[in-house]
Order: sequence, then structure tokens, then C-alpha cells
Amino acid sequence: MSESAEALATRSSGSQAARDGAHRAPSRADRPGRARADLRQRLEIVLLSGPAIIVFLTFVIFPVFMAAYYGFFKWKGFGVPTNFVGLQNYITIFTDQNFLDALKHNAFIVVVSLVMQGPAAIAFALLLNQNIRGRSLIRVLIFVPYVISEVIVGTGWGLMLQYQGAVNDLLTKIGLGAFKVDWIADPNIAIWTLMVIISWKYIGFAVILMLAGIQSIPDELYEAAAIDGASYWQIQRWITLPLLGPTIRVWAFLSVIGSMQLFDLVYIIWGQYVSSTAGTSTMATYMVREGRLTGNYGYGNAVAVVIFVISLVIALTYQRFVLRRDTEGALTGEPGRKQK
Amino acid sequence: MQRKVKGSALVALGASVALVLAGCSGATSAPATSSGPVTMTFWHNSTTGDGKKYWDDTVAAFEKANPNVTINIQAVQNEDMDGKLQTALNSGDGPTIFMARGGGKLADVVAADQVMDITSQVSSDVKSAYGDAIFSAFTIGGKIYGMPTSVLPGGIYYSKDLFKQAGITAAPTTFDELNAAITKLKAAGITPIALGGKDAWPAAHWYYFFALRDCSKDVMNTAAAKKDFSDPCWTKAGEDLKAFASTTPFNTGFLTTSAQQGAGSSAGMLANHKAAMELMGAWDPGVIASLTPDTKALPDLGWFAFPAVTGGSGEPSAMMGGSDGFACLKTAPAACVQFLNFIASKANQEGYAKAFQTLPANRDAQSGVTDPALKDVLATYNKASYVMLWLDTMYGQNVGNALNGGVVNMLAGKGGPADIVSAVKTAAAKG
Repeated sequence: MSESAEALATRSSGSQAARDGAHRAPSRADRPGRARADLRQRLEIVLLSGPAIIVFLTFVIFPVFMAAYYGFFKWKGFGVPTNFVGLQNYITIFTDQNFLDALKHNAFIVVVSLVMQGPAAIAFALLLNQNIRGRSLIRVLIFVPYVISEVIVGTGWGLMLQYQGAVNDLLTKIGLGAFKVDWIADPNIAIWTLMVIISWKYIGFAVILMLAGIQSIPDELYEAAAIDGASYWQIQRWITLPLLGPTIRVWAFLSVIGSMQLFDLVYIIWGQYVSSTAGTSTMATYMVREGRLTGNYGYGNAVAVVIFVISLVIALTYQRFVLRRDTEGALTGEPGRKQK
Repeated sequence: MQRKVKGSALVALGASVALVLAGCSGATSAPATSSGPVTMTFWHNSTTGDGKKYWDDTVAAFEKANPNVTINIQAVQNEDMDGKLQTALNSGDGPTIFMARGGGKLADVVAADQVMDITSQVSSDVKSAYGDAIFSAFTIGGKIYGMPTSVLPGGIYYSKDLFKQAGITAAPTTFDELNAAITKLKAAGITPIALGGKDAWPAAHWYYFFALRDCSKDVMNTAAAKKDFSDPCWTKAGEDLKAFASTTPFNTGFLTTSAQQGAGSSAGMLANHKAAMELMGAWDPGVIASLTPDTKALPDLGWFAFPAVTGGSGEPSAMMGGSDGFACLKTAPAACVQFLNFIASKANQEGYAKAFQTLPANRDAQSGVTDPALKDVLATYNKASYVMLWLDTMYGQNVGNALNGGVVNMLAGKGGPADIVSAVKTAAAKG
């Protein structure tokens, strides 16, 4: 990160030098020195940004184009694909009930994540912004799930939520045996179980973001409101929430993208085969199952392209219509009104 | 001092780079003659216990007998094997010796020209001790591509103690008897059947066995060759399974129960007397043994064949099963087939059967089987009118996966018998 920033700085100073050069008629004496400095700066740019650009092109851009290419073939993954099928793979994708189900689950996860985590995260952030006893301990506890690896979270919850698992055992022990259900195997409730696990896992991240957002709101505003006699709730409603807008919008963006690409938790808890049966499959688990497990690599690449396009459209739309106000400096405008 | 350390670190780094390079190139560029040093990689699926030790010891013995050969072993967890192997083969860096189960899955690898034809290299000793039938699963287009190490016919493993506890006196031979046994087990508060639905294939095996009883041999072979499931017996098999499942014989939460991993798996439930029965292949005694509290064989483990189904056109004595075996990469050195012949010898097959508590492919080694459940399996196997390969293995990864998924859906209450067949059709469009 700092490397590319440095490279940018170098480049701007470089162009500055070039402009200076344009204004002044270059004298013969300082020309070689200038050229050498120019070369050095170019070399620096190449050296500093080169590796990053090469890695990006090789491992991100190139595979995207290759996936688009493979997606037009029936291909088992061995050698060069030869069986060109045009758009057939894409037609199959959008007529396969399993994919449509997965898409529906993704949409569900996107919406419910926002609805469940957003308000809860703001509430936690407001609470943790107070001077309460054990504040830093609570902060740590809320953030811990976020830093635990998905595999561990998935394995742990997967074991606890088995029908004979710890959760049902606990329910029986405290006399709530009647509420025992098959948390992850019952297709009617499995996705809600997943939502609870996702919220538990990722809310720490949202809370930290919100907390940082709240703390960056100038104290003067609160003081002024207090002097004007505003109540605590009025202050939160008319000052904190509006000024938290940019943070909320960025968090929502990250949450949506994360939900679209959800894979690991589902794959760990439900394994390679049964997530679509349990009603928790996502586009990514569909891709792995139909592409890798079945050895239909051409088809799997087509699915990857579909996921990529859907994510790209959502990301660009969001940036264009929602995040734009932030980049235009909405903080200084009338955030309260725009919040609606 | 510090310089020295740095120097030695550099040497170590260089050496390890060289080792890595050697490991990479060993598979592809090793000389075909047996004179020069040869390095091979070997993938099997025994990650724990006696099975892992058996391969370690056997490889060591082979290396001792062939000092110029080095074999690097990699144990891959069974459920990860298909995917990892495919990825490795795709990248052109496949293991020299890899696990294969024949059928459509092996045919895919043959079609990709990744596996060696060993027809003429199987030693005559092995050929006569094995017989021709066992090689059929590994024969594609008249050529042999793999060396079987075990015969794994399926059937129902059960706990004799739990049966006694529920008042069941004889192993069921028909579905009426099985249903009666299930009722008795439930009345005694025992989970009748453990099912590892999370891995899909254990659930699908129930469908396959119903198909074995409902469909004639010809119909099944036609389906294998043409992937044509239009015969009404395929739907009847689905309906039979649906009717059977509606009596809720399986453990609660079978959909997220795995087959072999841990005490909560279906094999683990049997090992710990948490369930009375399980439909499995002949590897099960070994898997169950690894999951008992003392990791010893389950003393009261019994076995009976899949019960007869009324109105089916399949032979009641027909069996379904598979073979675990090993294949050589197309570019493997001659030592690879030597190794396959080595593990197929009587002595090594006896060791194999003991370590895995299963049935060896070598008929000479089968007399060494002592486990009572396995003896029953062997007796039934030797009397079977014909033996079909596991359907998912036979149909290959693509159709096999779709079939498994369709069955799991039906058992979980999503879709019916007709959807299993339509899932297969959709799969055909993808690959």
C-alpha cells in the first residue's frame, strides 16, 4: 500500500518537473542531469509498482479473461478445450433450479445481513461509546469472532448445532427440551441458523467501523445540541445517525459484497454436497460443486463469470448511486436529509 | 559466526529447493529404465491408524527391495481425494501412483490420457491369483488401467448386541422383516439406521441398492452404457426408497451427519452403539474399528445382505460393490507397475486385509479373513449371481454427483423419484 502511495508521489513530482521544464527553455548544461533524474524516477515507478501490477494482471485480470473463454466450452479440465458450445452453459445456468435457488439464498443473505447486523451494530457502537465498566473487554469479545478463521467457526458451530450437539443438550438441561430442533439439517430453518452464525461472526467488524465513525464526529456538535436542550435520543437521531451515514454506507457495501461471495462457512458446515438440499447453498458453493466436484470445468467457469458480472453490476450501481455522495463530500452538505 | 549460520541456511535453502524441484520433476521425467534413481509420488486415502501404517511399511519394504526407488507418500482425506486428484491431474502434476476406483471416474481420466495402460505389465502370478472378474471395473475399452487392492461389496452392518436388546432374533432377509426390526428397535429406544447424508453417497447407496433389487442386470448395464434411466424400475426404486424413508428409519439430522469422520458420523454411531445399522461397503469394519472408544474392532458387529424387495426384477442374490485400487500416471516409470504388482502379492494383500479390516482382492489372501462380519460378506459375495459396481462410480463424477444429490434431496423431503432422473438429465447438459 505504502509502496504505491510512494510511487504516486514520485509520479506527481515527476510531472511537476516536466512542467517546469516546459516553462523554461532548457539550457544545454542541465539537460543530462534532468534526463537522468527523469530516468531514475521512471525506474523507481517501474520498480515499485511493477511487481504489484504484474501480480494483479497475472492472478486477477488474466484469470477473469480465461474464465470468460473457458465458459464457452464443455471442458473436463484436461488440455485445451475443444468442444465449443457457445452460450449453452449460460442457458443451462439460468434454467437450473439449483442455481436459481442459490441466487435466491444469496439475495436473502444480503438483505437479512443488512437488516440484522446494521441496527445491532449501531446499537452496540452507541453502547460501547459510553463510559461503561468493562468497555474494552466487551469490545474485544464482540470483535473476537471476526478474527477467528471461518473454518474453525464453521466446524465449531457445525458440531454444536447437530441434533445430538451441545446446543440441544443445553436446551434439554435447562428444561427447554421442547425447543429442540435440527438446527442445520432442517431445510426450513437452516438458513436462519446460517444468518445467526454470520451475524455473530461478522458483527464485530461492523461495530468497530461504526465506533470509529462515531468517534470521528466532532464533540462540538454534541455540546451545541446539549446546550439547546436536546435529549440523548434526539442527539443520536439527528446528529450521530446522519453523520454516521458515510460509515454505514461503506459498511453496507462491504457487507453486500461479502454476502454475495459467501462460501467458506456454508462449505464447512454443510459440506460439499448437501447445502442446496438444506437450503443454504450460495452461488459460490454451486460453482464449486458443479465445476470442481463434477469435473465440469467449462461449466464452472461460466458460473464464475455469472457471479463476477452480478457482483460487478451491484458494486458499480452502489458506487454510482449510493457512495457517490460521500465522494462528493456529503459530510459538509445536508447529510440529515440525504440519509432518508 | 553469523556468517556461518547464514551460509548454512543458504545451503539448506538450496537443498530444499533442489528437493522440491526433484519432487516436481520425478513424476514426469524419471527414466523408464530401472537402473537410475527413480522418485515417485503416491497418493492414498488412509490418514490414520493401521491403514496409514500399512502403507508406510509397505512402501518402506518396496524401497528396501528396490534401492534405486524413492516413493513420497501423501495421505489425502477420502472426501478430498476426487477434487485434489483432479486438480493435480489438470495441472499436469499428478501423483505417479494414485488411488482409483474404476468405472466412469477412471474412464474420465483415461479419456484425458493421464493414466497408464498396464494390461501387459500385470504379472502372471497376480493375474492368476486375482482372476479376471475383479479387473472388470478397471478395464476400459479392453485395457486394464488399475490394480485393485480390495473387493468391497455392500450390505448392512449391524450391532448384534442392540438387535438382541430390541428382541430381534434373526438378521432380516426381506423388507418386511427389516421394517419389523426397525419397529422393534424404535420401541426399545434405539436409533435403527445411521446415515451419513452429508457426504451424499451413503444416502445414495440406499437408492442404488433398491435399484439393484428392482432393475434387472440388463437394464442396469444399459443405463451404465447409455445413461438411459427411462426403464420404470428406476422410478420404482425411488418410490420404494421414499416409502421406506417415510417410516423414519434414519437418525435425526442425517442430512448433516458425515459418514466416517468422528464419533458423530454414521460409522461412529455404530462404533459407539448409538445406532443399530448402517448400509456400507466392506471397508466399514475398519472404519468402525477406528472410531470405537478403544479403537479396536467392534466385537458384536454383524452383517446381512440388502434384503429382498417384493416385485423387483433384480436377482435377490445380486450384490453391489466396488474395489479400491491404484493406477499409474501415464508418464510413470516402470517401477510404478512393479509397485502395483508388489502390493498385489499374497503377503502384502494379507497385510492389507488385516490393516484395513476388509476383503483383499487377491483370492489367495482371502482365506486369512477372520472377522465374522467380513466372513459373512465373503460367503455371500462368492455366491452372488452377479456384482454391480457402485452406480456413482460407474456413471462417473458428473452424473454420479447429480444422482447422489437427487437422492439426498428426496430423502430430505425435496422432490421425488422423478426428480432424481431429471437431475441426471440436467447434469448431462453441464458436462
